[in-house]
Amino acid sequence: MATRLPPVDIVIVGMGWTGGILAKELAQTGLKIVALERGAPRSTQNDFSVPLIRDELRYSQRHDLMMDVSADTYSIRNKPSETALPMRRLGSFLPGEGVGGAGAHWNGVTWRWPDHELRIRTKYEERYGKSFVPADMPLQDWGISGPELEPYYDKFEYTAGVSGKAGNIKGQIQKDGNPFEDPRARDYPLPPLVSNHASQLFAKTAKELGYHPYVRPTANASQPYTNPDGMKIGQCQYCGFCERFGCEANAKGSPHITVIPVALRNPNVELRTYTWVTKVLKDSTGKKATGVAYVNVMTGEEMEQPADLVILSAYGLSNVHLMLLSGIGKPYDPETQTGVIGKNYAYQGGANVTLFFEGKSFNPFIATGGWGTSIDDFHTNWNFDRGPHGYVGGAYISVGGSNGRPITYRPVPPGTPQWGSDWKRATAKWYHAALTIAASGAVMPNRYNYLDLDRTYTNRFGQPLMRMTFDFSENEKKINRYAAQVIGDIAKAMNPTQMGQATPRLTWSVVPYQSTHNTGGAVMGTDPATSALNKYLQSWDMPNLFVTGASAFPHNSGYNPTGPVGALAFMMADTIRNKYLKNPGSLI
Amino acid sequence: MIKMKLSARHLLAIAAAMAFSQAAFAQDAGRGKAVFEQCAACHSLESDHNETGPYLKNIIGRKSASIDDFIYSPAMRRANVTWTPDQIDAFLKDPQAPPFRGNRMPFAGIPDAQARADLIAYLQASGR
Repeated sequence: MATRLPPVDIVIVGMGWTGGILAKELAQTGLKIVALERGAPRSTQNDFSVPLIRDELRYSQRHDLMMDVSADTYSIRNKPSETALPMRRLGSFLPGEGVGGAGAHWNGVTWRWPDHELRIRTKYEERYGKSFVPADMPLQDWGISGPELEPYYDKFEYTAGVSGKAGNIKGQIQKDGNPFEDPRARDYPLPPLVSNHASQLFAKTAKELGYHPYVRPTANASQPYTNPDGMKIGQCQYCGFCERFGCEANAKGSPHITVIPVALRNPNVELRTYTWVTKVLKDSTGKKATGVAYVNVMTGEEMEQPADLVILSAYGLSNVHLMLLSGIGKPYDPETQTGVIGKNYAYQGGANVTLFFEGKSFNPFIATGGWGTSIDDFHTNWNFDRGPHGYVGGAYISVGGSNGRPITYRPVPPGTPQWGSDWKRATAKWYHAALTIAASGAVMPNRYNYLDLDRTYTNRFGQPLMRMTFDFSENEKKINRYAAQVIGDIAKAMNPTQMGQATPRLTWSVVPYQSTHNTGGAVMGTDPATSALNKYLQSWDMPNLFVTGASAFPHNSGYNPTGPVGALAFMMADTIRNKYLKNPGSLI
Repeated sequence: MIKMKLSARHLLAIAAAMAFSQAAFAQDAGRGKAVFEQCAACHSLESDHNETGPYLKNIIGRKSASIDDFIYSPAMRRANVTWTPDQIDAFLKDPQAPPFRGNRMPFAGIPDAQARADLIAYLQASGR
């Protein structure tokens, strides 16, 4: 029998970026807030100090900071006709766990998704006609516009300490920035990071080919920085242990050194770690959340935490899983194309090619998580004509290089044996002299890409696993093939000694790492028949339930999702404070 | 954090008090405050307030690895020095040079001697 705890005003499920933002912003109301985090407490001093944090085997290969798949995982298949099997090792994507969530071990890349992404259906239909979007692609507008989100992008960038160069300030195109971005009110809080030699070579060639290279924005601090809450961020040391690791120098904008400690200064905010929420509780009408049920994973005790307002701010996939387990909203059915929970799951694709330059030295071990040079000519550039290519979306192209770590980074030219003396010679010869051009491609929703509950497999609490059905559709294959062609041409123009074939991703496997940018499943929109949430990320079915995260994205672009994830969380916090709490109920 | 503006006389007094190699540079604690921004994400100037790194109040003249409730690296525990301005200058020039080799401070150092001198002046001025 679960212990019923004294009621609180707000319960927040998951303490990463969005849980931290909500806790910090809502703390000012004086309401009693409890945040529940299923993983461990984390601090830089106790968990991320050198030399322990430089353990590549523990953190990079064995995923010490990520979700424990022996406790809970996903069952995976490519199409509905297959039997899904549980993912027993993390591979393709790496959900975070513990205080800070994936924000503790992200790379920091922070984009603003432009207006034409947020109003995607309208924009494509206006330009290419109603028949351009295929029938099996449930493409939909997000219910917000770029200008509406702009102040919140700004808030997130200044909170996280993003280094970059603006491309468009109030309509004025800025030299060396991304000319295709939407107008912004002001520049990034910090100047761009120092570029590496590989990025500079790419930028030079890209410019000669008529493209528009710029240093991409990332929350790796190029200088010491104090954010608007007075939190100090150190200067990046270019150590090459960023993604999959916590930052020992406090130089990566992370929730555990910014929003979370600010929230916890308030006596009305309480954080309980090792508390695993298993369900959102409902009243007899099913239209109102009454709190959450959780298990203390250290003791096994079952608890019920009553609350007036429930905010799901776990990893996006976990938000969807909790909604399915709690019976909130109608689960999506791909046959009838009805229901909303689990709908529009999307991922990311792309293409890449590795180049080898005899005699050059790129020093790959000097790196930051998010640095690099990108071009958006085939992505955020709305003037790029998708008509002849017949696809929705695009791919941005970069040379970065987040690390040169000994286990992870062993570039060798095609045809090199996979072991033995020749492999050793090649890996020594090319370690310093290789660079990769990568395209990150958008993924549009497809009728048959979705999330639901598995019928066979269960997690540690006996609850059904979430089942993921996903593969790249024709639209994505077109994006990725064209991206491969473009990066192949750029690669040739860079004139390497050797290069591989630029290869597009045409089918999805859960085994090799690709991207932790899982989107959709509890999407925002304008119509309760096709979306789970309104534009404030409030549940259509249950007005005292709000759901943050990339699970709200109706489609995925080629960009990393954290910019809009953070912006939407700030917008939600404003809306709850200024509108919802004054008059609780459906905001639309 | 102490806000202060040092007069020329103060500066002279500080410079005179520090008879060591890096004192060849005119020191400016005001500029040093800006240099300290590089340290501030991990080090506090308040007493008994350790963050990722140990607090730096009263650092001048302190024995190395001497704050009871801070967990130092083995390298820092072995170093056994006193943090004179000269010693701080040497440490900040190359934090991984002996006798500190292997310590856990994730910082590449401050190559500019003037900036180090300014920072030390700031630590002296605000550390008391």
